[in-house]
Amino acid sequence: MSASGPRSVRRPAAPGSEAGSTATLGERSQAPPTRPLVALVGPPNAGKSTLFNQLTGLRQKIANYPGVTVEKKLGVVDLGDGLEVELVDLPGVNGFSARTADERITRDVLEGRAPGLRAPDALVLIVDSTRLEPHLMLVEPTLALGVPTLLALNMADELHARGGAVDPSALGEALGVTAVETNARTGQGLDQVRRFLRAVAERGPLPERACPAVSNVAKGTPLPMADQFARRRRHIAELTRRAGFRAAGPSALTRRLDALFLHRVWGPLIFLVVGVVVFQAMFTWATPFMDGVEAVIAGSGEWLAARLPESWFRSLLIDGVWSGVGSVLVFLPQILVLFLFLGILEDSGYMARAAVIADRLMYRVGLQGRAFLPLLSAYACAVPAVLAARTVEDERDRLATIFVAPFMTCSARLPVYALLIAAFIPERPLLGPFMGTRAATLLGLYALGVLAAVGSAFLLKRTLLRGEPSSFLMELPPYRVPSLRSLGLRLVDRTRVFLRRAGRIILLVAVVLWGLTQVPRVDGGAPPIDESALAAAGHVIEPAIRPLGFDWRIGVGLVSSLAAREVIVATLGTIYGVEDADEGSIQLQAALQRDLDLGSAVALLVFFVFALQCMSTVAVVRRETGGWKWPLIQWSYMLALAYGGAFLANWLI
Amino acid sequence: MHDTRTNTNRAGRELRLAQIGLHEEVELVRIDLPDEQAEPLLERGLLPGCRLCPVRLSPAGDPVVMVDGTLLALRRETADCLCVRLARGLAD
Repeated sequence: MSASGPRSVRRPAAPGSEAGSTATLGERSQAPPTRPLVALVGPPNAGKSTLFNQLTGLRQKIANYPGVTVEKKLGVVDLGDGLEVELVDLPGVNGFSARTADERITRDVLEGRAPGLRAPDALVLIVDSTRLEPHLMLVEPTLALGVPTLLALNMADELHARGGAVDPSALGEALGVTAVETNARTGQGLDQVRRFLRAVAERGPLPERACPAVSNVAKGTPLPMADQFARRRRHIAELTRRAGFRAAGPSALTRRLDALFLHRVWGPLIFLVVGVVVFQAMFTWATPFMDGVEAVIAGSGEWLAARLPESWFRSLLIDGVWSGVGSVLVFLPQILVLFLFLGILEDSGYMARAAVIADRLMYRVGLQGRAFLPLLSAYACAVPAVLAARTVEDERDRLATIFVAPFMTCSARLPVYALLIAAFIPERPLLGPFMGTRAATLLGLYALGVLAAVGSAFLLKRTLLRGEPSSFLMELPPYRVPSLRSLGLRLVDRTRVFLRRAGRIILLVAVVLWGLTQVPRVDGGAPPIDESALAAAGHVIEPAIRPLGFDWRIGVGLVSSLAAREVIVATLGTIYGVEDADEGSIQLQAALQRDLDLGSAVALLVFFVFALQCMSTVAVVRRETGGWKWPLIQWSYMLALAYGGAFLANWLI
Repeated sequence: MHDTRTNTNRAGRELRLAQIGLHEEVELVRIDLPDEQAEPLLERGLLPGCRLCPVRLSPAGDPVVMVDGTLLALRRETADCLCVRLARGLAD
């Protein structure tokens, strides 16, 4: 999978490349349209992405629509004989009210107003047959577009298994479209979808035209909204009646599993177990892989260093680029483990139940149920947590979740905590043999983070993200066995997105920080670190951090830890001239005890609880919020809190 | 859940969804919410005139209702804004 990511990055500008190459699909769409564009439309959980993956395989390109966080998923469907269509997978939506970013993008694409995409030449509507009527309500407004349309009645096998029935051709006739039964997971009915796409490809793109508006309810009519919906609902009921539709009976499996997963006692208990397993998996199961990645990066760096002549270029490559890339890659195992679990939970249908269980608790804080697992995973690392916040549908709740996630004590803070606690907190029993002062301090730091997160969410929902409380409404989809193919493609997706988007910014910062350690040149080489520009930066900020009880050495550590929190340990080691410094180093602890007193040590701990010293997180937040606004607010807010908290701690103790 | 007598007493009267017992089928009469907040409910099939049935309570006591073959989890606060009446003919 790692091979396909870079390939699609590095070869984007090959306009004349041969048809059928896997890498360059998005760029060619700007050429005169030879391939028709087909839009895939449907509600969430109807199997839209599965169908998209089945049709396009790995010939996908994911980008963001400009200025928003909605992912633009484009793929090419090869239909044989050199015939191809371009497929755009629209986000799953519940309607066309344009209330959420997803709904606005869907509407814009359908109306041909999305930048860089022309109006679709055909539509594939996909609905869950077991929820046919409400889903038809949703897709019916798109028929007004008047383009060739295929209606895929997905999960048809489940409809029949649960005693339901529908005549696809009669339904298609009533709606004026082609309707086929499919099962995107097994591939059943896929040949009919491809036959439709082939006809679209043979006909070629439609001429330029004005598209009618797509909306839930007609604008400017005196009829109240509820009545307009009710009228459409009656119309749908009439159509499905003509198509001999018989609704699926209740799913016995879903009823039995819900009796367990939403049980008054077992439900929360199972929820807790699931949470602990996800947490454990990220913390412990991913660790060997992370160590492996680190070893490979370090090993290959050394191998490369041994083969290059001593020069500034070698230093840039090894100390700048290599370690910068390494600091990104090391998160990959955690991200993959988390997304594997989230994928299983989401695709199986459990996630919606977990959200219902967590909702009351999170609602009190100003968040909502779906934010629970992202926040839990932030204990391992904020980067995957921010990415996982996508599961929170409501835009304001999602932003609030992203905003508070870095307050959770991530694993990168632990080395710093361990070093400072070992150096400054004497070990004494507090609760008999169960807890000593050091463990209590660590627990206190975790609690401080939670407190900051809860307080900030509360504050945020009353200031920047104020608004009517969204009516929490969670559809509980039937339980289903997740498909391996879907899970796999999702992981490939996440890997590509993470490496490409976060990688660029992190590389830049890593190279800049490296540059600061290289100037001014001494005898044509790098200066000792306490004479470098990085040290100068430490001296420059010294007046600012003096009130916190920090001197310039800690300042250098703070500046270097902008890259990643744990870097401060190595930097302090370098400054104090301690070889092979890690958090267990006695020498380093002794050096710190000379320069800090208890007050300033606690201040430093508090600073690390609050401050957002992690460029990976900043980069990912920028990506996930579609601009610099949120990461800047977040970074400044957390810095202000860190400064204030550290000042208070130093002053009090 | 309830015996026939209570059902006839309550039949035809407008109630709040939050007052309805489990497995009692009701008809939605009205959504007492502003349009922006009602629209998500309307989109998912919670329409005036539709039949719905609370099938379960979440551990925290929030209702899960069945509408059109779809399970929807609501908050109590939302359920309190849904005006319903007992569906006729279900008592017998």
